[in-house]
Amino acid sequence: MGNSWTGVATWKWIANDDNCGICRMAFDGCCPDCKLPGDDCPLVWGQCSHVFHMHCIVKWLQSQSTNSPCPMCRQEWKWKAG
Amino acid sequence: MIKLFTLKQQKKDGESGPDRGKRASAAQLRIQKDINELNLPKTCQVDFPDPDDLLNFKVVIAPDEEFYRGGRFVFSFKVGQGYPHDPPKVKCETMVYHPNIDLEGNVCLNILREDWKPVLTINSIVYGLQYLFLEPNPEDPLNKEAAEVLQTNRRLFEQNVAKSMRGGHIGNVYFDRCLK
Repeated sequence: MGNSWTGVATWKWIANDDNCGICRMAFDGCCPDCKLPGDDCPLVWGQCSHVFHMHCIVKWLQSQSTNSPCPMCRQEWKWKAG
Repeated sequence: MIKLFTLKQQKKDGESGPDRGKRASAAQLRIQKDINELNLPKTCQVDFPDPDDLLNFKVVIAPDEEFYRGGRFVFSFKVGQGYPHDPPKVKCETMVYHPNIDLEGNVCLNILREDWKPVLTINSIVYGLQYLFLEPNPEDPLNKEAAEVLQTNRRLFEQNVAKSMRGGHIGNVYFDRCLK
């Protein structure tokens, strides 16, 4: 029945850095609490343009009682709309 | 974005606490990277009393200028499972006459407390400690006597530091010799 094809694709997060500043793991990998990179361990951006694994930044923001600064630049963390 | 928040929350539980022998914890993974990337001046040195335990170690600072030149100061670092979300616990094991270090070894350094953020590393803390010896800060003292002397009589402060490092009394407090 003719030729068969095997599909192969690669993906990459487009971020202005290679590693998450919080856990130091690669963005193309996942945070230390996850096993698989990709949609289950997404990256998120702040309006200050800094980017982290979502799980890492959420954990940090939750640990802050009053204001929640970006761990990089200390500006108030504001989510950048998708 | 809202949906992202609820994703995978259940997974987070059961994942804290030390799990020696099993998968390395987040704190262990992160500290390993910190240690690999250490880039310290020759005045600072890191020692691991137990090479298998990267979470507990000593940092030795031997300043080569200013007031504390010639001294040798040992700090203990305890990195908890909350690292890097919580800072390590750092204590000075060498008794020192210093405005920002009390006689129990508690250290007043902003990045060890209110200004900690998880993008800081062990390297940043060691640099912070080294800076304390170069620029003791009388504004925010843990040892109020030392701070007052530094503020009112720099020359006497310098003499007191030298005396304490040679081993001797400052007021009624005895300091062990800590010269190299």
